Amino acid sequence: MGKMIIWETKMDVALARAKAENKHILLDFFNPG
Amino acid sequence: MDAVTYPNDSVVEFIQKHMIPLRVAFDAKPLSIDFNVKWTPTLITLDADGKEHQRTVGFLPPEELIPSLMLGIAKSYFNRERFIEALSTLDKLLTDYPKSDSAPEAIYLRGVCRYKNTHDAKPLKEAYEQLQTKYPSSEWTKRAYPYRLL
Repeated sequence: MGKMIIWETKMDVALARAKAENKHILLDFFNPG
Repeated sequence: MDAVTYPNDSVVEFIQKHMIPLRVAFDAKPLSIDFNVKWTPTLITLDADGKEHQRTVGFLPPEELIPSLMLGIAKSYFNRERFIEALSTLDKLLTDYPKSDSAPEAIYLRGVCRYKNTHDAKPLKEAYEQLQTKYPSSEWTKRAYPYRLL
């Protein structure tokens, strides 16, 4: 099995990680079907 | 995106290295309201304060997603007047993905960054000349058209 993206699902968690890791956020609005 | 782009090794590697991936349903409130989402996929680049700097709507293959994300990151730096970091990101985009749909806008933005960083108008004219040579039919060539006179 290849590598895969591990998605965050909460904005507050993503923002905290972005600040701590000095990164930008990719916010994907998707259709779960 | 799930079938083609997100499983791609280069995409996984880029996102792991440069971004925090956050995924929410298109109708999840309040985010879908806050970001005025009307269609999927909607991909938005945010800075660490949650401010939007770029969005795309619709499918992107791997060879377009990565430069699109790089452009979003560069815009984030540009909007915060961090021109050196913006230029570094744009140079990387143009080196690695010169044939991508993001490349013409990257050339335009690089010219503007260099101008803002130096207050020398020459980079704007150079951007137009490069766009005219490499992407004569691009909308960004049209937007840079006045710079030919500098």
